Amino acid sequence: MATAAPSGARVQVQLTYDMSKALGVERFELDGVTTVADVVRLAQQRFEGGAGSFEELTSRAAVAVNGVLTSHRRGMRTALRDGDTVSFVKAAAGG
Amino acid sequence: MINGYAGRILEIDLTTERVEWKPLDEDIARLYIGGKGYGTRLLYDRTEAGIDPLGPDNLLIFATGPLNGSVAPQSNRFAVVCKSPLTGGIGNATCGGSFALGLKKAGVDVVVVRGRAKRPLRLEIDGDASEVNFVDATDLWGKGTYETQAILGKKRYHAVIGPAGENQVLYAGIVSNERIAGRTGVGAVMGSKQLKAVSVWGSRKLDMEDPDKFKAYTKEVRRIFKDHPVLGESMKRFGTGGIVNTTNARNILPTRNFKYGHFDGAMKISGEWIEDHELKGVKTSCIHCPVTCGRDVEVDGKVVKGPEYETLALLGSNLEIGDIKKVSEWNYLADDLGMDTISLGATLGFAMELVETGAIQNADGALRFGDPAGISEMIRDIAHRRGLGNELANGTRRMSEKFGGAAFAPHVKGLELSAYDPRGSFAQGVEYATTNRGGCHVQGASMYLESTGPLTINPQNLKLKADLPIVQQNLACAINSMVLCIFTTYGIVPKAIHAMNPNSWQHKALSLALENSGPVFRWAQSIKGSPMLWFEKWLTYITGQKFSSGHLQEIGGRIFNLERMYNLREGLTGADDTLPDRILYEPTFEHMKSGHPLDQLLPLYYKKRGWDAQGIPTARTLERLKVLH
Repeated sequence: MATAAPSGARVQVQLTYDMSKALGVERFELDGVTTVADVVRLAQQRFEGGAGSFEELTSRAAVAVNGVLTSHRRGMRTALRDGDTVSFVKAAAGG
Repeated sequence: MINGYAGRILEIDLTTERVEWKPLDEDIARLYIGGKGYGTRLLYDRTEAGIDPLGPDNLLIFATGPLNGSVAPQSNRFAVVCKSPLTGGIGNATCGGSFALGLKKAGVDVVVVRGRAKRPLRLEIDGDASEVNFVDATDLWGKGTYETQAILGKKRYHAVIGPAGENQVLYAGIVSNERIAGRTGVGAVMGSKQLKAVSVWGSRKLDMEDPDKFKAYTKEVRRIFKDHPVLGESMKRFGTGGIVNTTNARNILPTRNFKYGHFDGAMKISGEWIEDHELKGVKTSCIHCPVTCGRDVEVDGKVVKGPEYETLALLGSNLEIGDIKKVSEWNYLADDLGMDTISLGATLGFAMELVETGAIQNADGALRFGDPAGISEMIRDIAHRRGLGNELANGTRRMSEKFGGAAFAPHVKGLELSAYDPRGSFAQGVEYATTNRGGCHVQGASMYLESTGPLTINPQNLKLKADLPIVQQNLACAINSMVLCIFTTYGIVPKAIHAMNPNSWQHKALSLALENSGPVFRWAQSIKGSPMLWFEKWLTYITGQKFSSGHLQEIGGRIFNLERMYNLREGLTGADDTLPDRILYEPTFEHMKSGHPLDQLLPLYYKKRGWDAQGIPTARTLERLKVLH
């Protein structure tokens, strides 16, 4: 697994559609983060001030790093490295 | 006659233009239910090994089951069974629309078509009069599926082909309303028989063992569906396209001919985007279905059926096209020309990579990833077998045999892969490799339980990955024989699990329990108890026979093994149970050293199936399931 960069990593954050709609961007970049918990905390800050309820928008969303759910790694403590994509992901069914 | 069945089979010989009405074989109905199961039994018993799939000896079988003709939600589907011209093995596809209802109203369970017409024909089946008319269809030949159905009129129920079927494009389908029996080239078989359309009507009602229980329970099921997070919420709001952002986030959205699993432009081809920007007010469904997974969009000023998930992925991300209007246009074109958008999109993606490598030249400059130029014309060329389109009309396997690129030709047994990259969904990979009709997702849909649904088992270890496909394939065989929409299985995971926080320890514990259940999971499914799920109860109330999970697993296993025996008879072997080299050896996740671990899972799967090391069902397995009776 990835080892966190000492000064933190630069990562892409991919939002769910509803989160994206609330913020007006599909994804954004974060610098200086070391774990998934950092990303969730900083993402939450972006929703402060009326962009929508972060808790509501993420209540049924899991978090994945480069496609792998954090529940299969170290949860919120999953370490990040430069270039990682952290995605909020909702369960869905297709056909 | 068992309740739920009309009791009649209609046999039609197009060469002689003779018709025969026969009684339904109740023993087959008891062992195989109907639909795909009944059709497979007929095909196995009544065709010689090695027949030309596009020759007059192939059978084209339209089959219904005991749920068809009822008002049960998701029950308006029919199955088509034949030898596949695309794979050389078992061919089948199911289709919504309205044709299944028409067949049951006409008092027909199964229509068996053989021979080849001397000129383009269409069939008119008047069930009440028990008459079949052979009508010249020269005036319809060359017309699209929408225009053909409009000319045939709304008072009857139709199954038709478009130019792709007429020209025997190997992945042509059969269309009813705006739905298609898309996979394995069933439309090419219909075209090879010069059969443009089948129209049917009648006034028969379905006989049920216990209509009161059925009615009351169906009302209850409609309420359950309405409240369900998938059937009543996400699929109703966003259609199947609501999964695009999920597969993209999980790195399993086919991108650039299955080279990658993530596409930056995915959001703009998602179901949510369609809901907000493209929807033209109408959400459509098959008859009696409350899910309304279809949605209308506008193409060239016309309101038409919008693309489903598979189309959004295979004609979108797989070609690196993020323009929903283009994908919608190609979807409409493919539906009207009558071809499977999964195989079409996969073949276009493969051709684009062949152009990149220089293996094929395209003078028009079309077929470049990310560039929509020339694609519409290429789709028309495929349907009419013109120029390079004539090569693409044969699918990826035959193209790779002629031009190279077998390592990145995205097919199993000749059938192009669906839109779930198995490198991030190991059970789905086993399912692709072993499914008898080839690389298809709706013959089990393991990906829902391991990758995209509310449970979060680890999709990239070996636990449960040989067990899950077996249970799911068996269930899908039974579902496709009732005949019910496979989407009904999405309702099995209860609302309470959807409501859980996926990051909670409770959720993790539940997922871990399932992940480690292995043999217990299979054993639990095999119990022949009382009917629990809605389709088990419906079958029981309609037919008067008892159906439970265990009964359906047994019947589904029987059908699956019969399909397997058909494939073996037609020359397929265990060596065909594989995945493209790209999927097996090219990693798409940072922690992977290689691709999908099929080599570790396939022997386990064979053993659990009761097959030998070569993938041949043992005599004991066939005897236990009464396959050869």
